[in-house]
Amino acid sequence: MKIKKILVANRGEIALRVLKTAKEMGIKIVTVYAEDDKSLPHALYADESYSLGSGALSDTYLNKNKLIEIAKKTKSDAIHPGYGFLSENAEFADMVEKAGLIFIGPTAASITLMGDKIGSKKALEKINIPMIPGYHGDDQEVSTLAQKAKEIGFPVLIKASAGGGGKGMRIVHQESELIEAISGAKSEALKAFSNDKVLVEKYVVNPRHIEVQLMSDTHGNHLHFFERECSIQRRYQKIVEETPAPNLSQELRLKICETAVQISSGINYRGAGTVEFILAPDGHYYFLEMNTRLQVEHPVTEMVTGHDLVKYQIMVAQDDKLPVSQAEIKQSGQAIECRIYAEDPDNNFMPSIGKIDRIGTPTLRDVRLDCGFLDGTEVGVNYDPMLAKLVVWGENREVAISKTLHSLDEVLFLGVKTNRDYLKRILAHKEYVAGHTHTHFIPDYKNDLAAKEFSDQDLADIIGALSFSDKKRAVSGSSEVLRNPWTELSGFRN
Amino acid sequence: MEKIFTINGQEVKVQDYKHTGDSVSFTLNGKNYYYMLIARDGQEFILDNGGRFKAAVGTPSREGESMVIANGREAIGALAAKKMKKAGAQAGGLTSPMPGKIFKILKEVGSEVKKGEAVLILEAMKMEHSIRSDKDGKVNKIHYKVGELVQGGVTLAEVE
Repeated sequence: MKIKKILVANRGEIALRVLKTAKEMGIKIVTVYAEDDKSLPHALYADESYSLGSGALSDTYLNKNKLIEIAKKTKSDAIHPGYGFLSENAEFADMVEKAGLIFIGPTAASITLMGDKIGSKKALEKINIPMIPGYHGDDQEVSTLAQKAKEIGFPVLIKASAGGGGKGMRIVHQESELIEAISGAKSEALKAFSNDKVLVEKYVVNPRHIEVQLMSDTHGNHLHFFERECSIQRRYQKIVEETPAPNLSQELRLKICETAVQISSGINYRGAGTVEFILAPDGHYYFLEMNTRLQVEHPVTEMVTGHDLVKYQIMVAQDDKLPVSQAEIKQSGQAIECRIYAEDPDNNFMPSIGKIDRIGTPTLRDVRLDCGFLDGTEVGVNYDPMLAKLVVWGENREVAISKTLHSLDEVLFLGVKTNRDYLKRILAHKEYVAGHTHTHFIPDYKNDLAAKEFSDQDLADIIGALSFSDKKRAVSGSSEVLRNPWTELSGFRN
Repeated sequence: MEKIFTINGQEVKVQDYKHTGDSVSFTLNGKNYYYMLIARDGQEFILDNGGRFKAAVGTPSREGESMVIANGREAIGALAAKKMKKAGAQAGGLTSPMPGKIFKILKEVGSEVKKGEAVLILEAMKMEHSIRSDKDGKVNKIHYKVGELVQGGVTLAEVE
């Protein structure tokens, strides 16, 4: 059947992202909003929009029954879950289909399989997907553990099975340190967790986080849309993503992408999904997890391949065949995404709140700002503080970086403290520019990435600006220049 | 005249501060600065200090602070006189661990509290956080009302 109306069970920029593609396909959109979101654009710009009331998330955006009830009442054909919220909730996917609606996502069985971190690894090992080599067995003799460590190859990580917080954890670089490290980890684990069971795993130095965008239809076509490099993370959350991954040979790139397709075809996956891998500097890569939904960072893939992933999600959901073959999917140029957060990176990434007086607009070509706010709306305390995603395409990486740096200056969010300046420091860092990204980038270069102290000139400029802040009146026409100020502003961006 | 600003939490003193109509001048660390307002569009403007640059100042928060952008640098600034009870510097100040909304006030001004007892409840990320007294004493001041939004790191109440 053709989908004619979709309910988006989400908020903010991702609800607007689905809306945009739906409009291009002539599909009607129903959005929902919690009362504290009633002035945000996702609650204003849909064909129909319904309140979920207020209260805990379980009463609003996570209220499965209410969402299905609104979908039925509005005669929607399908529900798009976005990312986060109910997007990887197998019970919800099941409830949607039992209610006679289409869930725009994978089957409940795929969600359940990949949601089980241990079970999914076991299932994928059977189809020869590379896992981090390790020993998780019950034989805890020091000699057995040492033997296993030698088999895995140094460096190895020895860590408490019951672990956490770095207790009972040792990184061992050579055989001579092994016995002492195993005994040390065991006694520490015993003290901390009353259990001296340890496991041995390959330790990856400077790992990279590489993921592959997948899309499968219900006719046996399992495609990949190449990789994304997502190593720049703070608190295990990605803040800068790009594609293609720099410093990755074409041969290894294709090998990783083909491994990902082996997974989607191996589990007969449906719709959009992402397989995340850990890539070691020696070129070995290991399965980390699979996300059974659209990712926050999907736009970089869209910019570089020219394909609309949301459109394909909708097509797959209505049983269409994917309209492209693997050979037709190509990477062109470079795309970088920066996640703009309402937070202060120089004060422990403390979230900030407030009214957004004005949102700046990017002016360069091939720059996209996916944003869930409008001028005058509030950044509250109840949701993730991501304000927007700045996505920039350039014909090569150097151009993409320079366009991103310029665009970060343009997309001000006047009124709330943002991480824009911090993002600029990352993108201007010589190791980032050289494409030397790895998951410890932010902690390793903490000092380089710290805010530069203001010079006297900076302070004076800020005081100058503050001095004019409480004057709401327009500039009086006291001189020639001021009579028509805007004609003077040839260098004025925005 | 001397004037004190706070910029990203640091006090900055300037001398000979003169603000007349469309211009401002002052001395900072012995050097004179002069800025002229060239154009304004709401909260965004163009200043000239020998070369033109873009600046913008957001709506001040309850603490009198606003976000300032000048020449591409982002800062939180305020006139020091407007700066209120910040950062819990004074003894007995109970500060907000993150931005939130005052959900409930459990102890009114004047009531006795024990160490560890909750004085008020802050709501953030859909969860309630009890703000507890760090000593036995009396609630001296509560700076906010129920329903008010507060930034992270501000003093919510004082216990003496």
